[in-house]
Amino acid sequence: MSNQEKMVLTGNQGIARGFYEAGGLLAASYPGSPTVEILDSIKEYEEVYSEFSTSEKVALEVAIGGSFAGVRSMASMKHVGVNIAADPLMTFTQTKTNGGFVLLSGDDPGMASSQNEQDNRIFGKFANMGILAPGDSQDAIDYTKAAFDISEKYHLPMMVNITSRVCHSRTPVVLGERKEVEPRVFEKDVQRYCMIPPHTNPLQHSMKDRIDKLKEFAYDSELNTLEEREGADTLVVTSALVYHNLKELELDVSIYKLGMIYPISPKKLQELSEKYQRIIVIEELMPMIETEIKMMGIECEGKKYFSFTGELHTEDIERGLKKAGVITDRNTTDAEPVESVKRTPLFCAGCPHRPIFDILKKIRKRVIGDIGCYSMAMFEPFQASDSIISMGATVGITKGMTKANALVGKSEPLVSVIGDGTMFHSGLPGFVNLLHQRNENDNMTFIILDNRTTAMTGGQATAASGNYTSADDMKVDIKTIIQAMGHENVQEVDQFDYEATKKVLTEETNKPGISFVIAKRPCALKFKIQENTFYVNPNVCIGCRNCIKTNCPPIRMKKYHNIDKLKSSIDPDMCAGCSVCAQVCPVDAIQPKGQHPDHSKKGSAKYKRQEYQKMNLNNDDKE
Amino acid sequence: METINIMLGGVGGQGLVLTTDVICKAALKAGYDVKSNDVIGLAQRGGMVWGSVRIGEKVHSPNIPVGKADIILGLEPLEAQRWEHLLNENSKIIANTKEIYPTQSLLEKQDYPSEEIAKFYERYDHYLSDFSADAKKLGNRKAANTVLLGVMAQFLPISTEIWKETLRENVPEKAIDVNMKAFDYGYESFKDKS
Repeated sequence: MSNQEKMVLTGNQGIARGFYEAGGLLAASYPGSPTVEILDSIKEYEEVYSEFSTSEKVALEVAIGGSFAGVRSMASMKHVGVNIAADPLMTFTQTKTNGGFVLLSGDDPGMASSQNEQDNRIFGKFANMGILAPGDSQDAIDYTKAAFDISEKYHLPMMVNITSRVCHSRTPVVLGERKEVEPRVFEKDVQRYCMIPPHTNPLQHSMKDRIDKLKEFAYDSELNTLEEREGADTLVVTSALVYHNLKELELDVSIYKLGMIYPISPKKLQELSEKYQRIIVIEELMPMIETEIKMMGIECEGKKYFSFTGELHTEDIERGLKKAGVITDRNTTDAEPVESVKRTPLFCAGCPHRPIFDILKKIRKRVIGDIGCYSMAMFEPFQASDSIISMGATVGITKGMTKANALVGKSEPLVSVIGDGTMFHSGLPGFVNLLHQRNENDNMTFIILDNRTTAMTGGQATAASGNYTSADDMKVDIKTIIQAMGHENVQEVDQFDYEATKKVLTEETNKPGISFVIAKRPCALKFKIQENTFYVNPNVCIGCRNCIKTNCPPIRMKKYHNIDKLKSSIDPDMCAGCSVCAQVCPVDAIQPKGQHPDHSKKGSAKYKRQEYQKMNLNNDDKE
Repeated sequence: METINIMLGGVGGQGLVLTTDVICKAALKAGYDVKSNDVIGLAQRGGMVWGSVRIGEKVHSPNIPVGKADIILGLEPLEAQRWEHLLNENSKIIANTKEIYPTQSLLEKQDYPSEEIAKFYERYDHYLSDFSADAKKLGNRKAANTVLLGVMAQFLPISTEIWKETLRENVPEKAIDVNMKAFDYGYESFKDKS
């Protein structure tokens, strides 16, 4: 076969390419796995305005603005991002869409990187949107283009619903040309754009009419494909990656692959139901397609054979179809992974979160966590995160627990941790809310982990990143903003000064009132921090494992030649030189490479961090 | 041609995603259909990461069925062993023997399973080296995965010219030379054995 004009793209890159080829002009997003690479890729197109907004709600609103102004606009986000964006979404979708509008939702069956498994196809229907579901990177391109065309033709917003597996999977694609689309104009029309009653009353009907028209479109749309097997009495209705996993089995069944999974054409299903004895729906998560078909009064089966949670791999499909009696023998084996040592993620070498959580563990305070790399503090050895719910939730939860504790006569100091990105996303309203019914006996300490980036999703900018790098333009000063709210007790710390930080956190968590501590060290990964590495002198090391307990990737106990007991060691290839291990070592066995102090005299070997990489907190360490 | 299934296992930060990308692009250049999978997200911070690549005339699913992996490309020993259930008696192991301890082993709660891994290697046709050390000698420790690709190249129907062209197009400009050396080194390393 000829592949001259082909290339390999991920599903995420496919969505970006589809947006570009569709003549998309405005794209907004908030970074979140599995969809973060969509906007990263769109940024490469110069014709397009794109931004990572401060939250999914803002991103959606920016895209609504683009659509109002008449240009093709897209908001992309992970599934839970749609929850935050739901308020503008549910009302915007009532309007007669002007410039083509696409909401890209990245779902995560199996939760590879998410806090829940919600099925946003339900959300799409709830918001009266049409929904397309790509199964590979070519679909991602084609469906994104189709979504814009449908959106403009039928004046409705479209959802493209993609799963994490398709986002990251690479498949061959053929690229097309960009289509320049004539922008529409925004004309003042209060009935169309001002969503108050009575304007909204007729819109309930027009939303239904749009979906009814899409049902007619769905009847013979090329988005939906029928593969008929001669003599087959079973029809499988499926979509997206499940279709490809099913195809691996090469079964004697006909397949109706829905590219547009909502709405479905009742006329088409009626015809098919007359032709086939059985209709079996195979879909991940909720029985969305199955329910739609049943609501047409057509018999079908689905979730009684297939799991409602996790992904449906080829093996799962085969197992379900055997249960359904569609096949009698199985050709695949269910995976039973090798029992071995688990590998949980951990803070990188040089990560600025490490000393914070090492200290919080030592001072034994309850920690209400949040979403970001610091979520990993819940793992061993820190176990210093007692709850994780959603972006920014730590602030309200900390206040609620404190107030509830007071009601039942319990006084427990609480520590709340939140990253800079998460704080700008949805922590600030909670910070303002702390001022309401303040009680001087409440003891809450808010630690803002200002590592200057949204690290977990690959290092996108936050609203404060511009203070540190000329590549970013937002220079919000976190300390100023919190003080301007009316919070008096706000301190900044350099957490690589371990003792000073420990002192501040001990004092603040032991005294009543609301305290803010801003930890200023930047992300070691994003800013590629590499200082002089450290080594362990095994003749001085007493094997206390204080350094081991900081759980740094290069530090482990090792058998040295001619020494009986295990002593600590540092892999120089992995060490980033943060010095935290040297600072927790009680006997100064850990020293910077090249320094060989005399350990025979007490005190002379003391590692002084002041000699080393002191950080200026006045924001002048710009690139 | 029967579909060739390659399973990759590694640790977050080792460059598994780029390695998967290079294999896919080389396979497409050589005229094959290809699909890959890799899991990123929470796992990118020192956690387990894995990818699969399937190369053939027509590939439907990117997932490798149990017992159907032809090659396991281990960027780290434990992460190679983790996928043994995908292997069969004819499978090959190409693995970097440089151990990266997971948290449980760093904390001395579970031994790093070096002995089990050695037995695992013995059960299959294997091609092993501390490729990180090899790459370091060649000029950059980060080119370890390219040495692995060089070793694997002799088992795939993709020419060395295509591999090198793909590498040139996908690694940073200043790392091209070391990657070319790393590929050649890997390609020649086990010539006698195979």
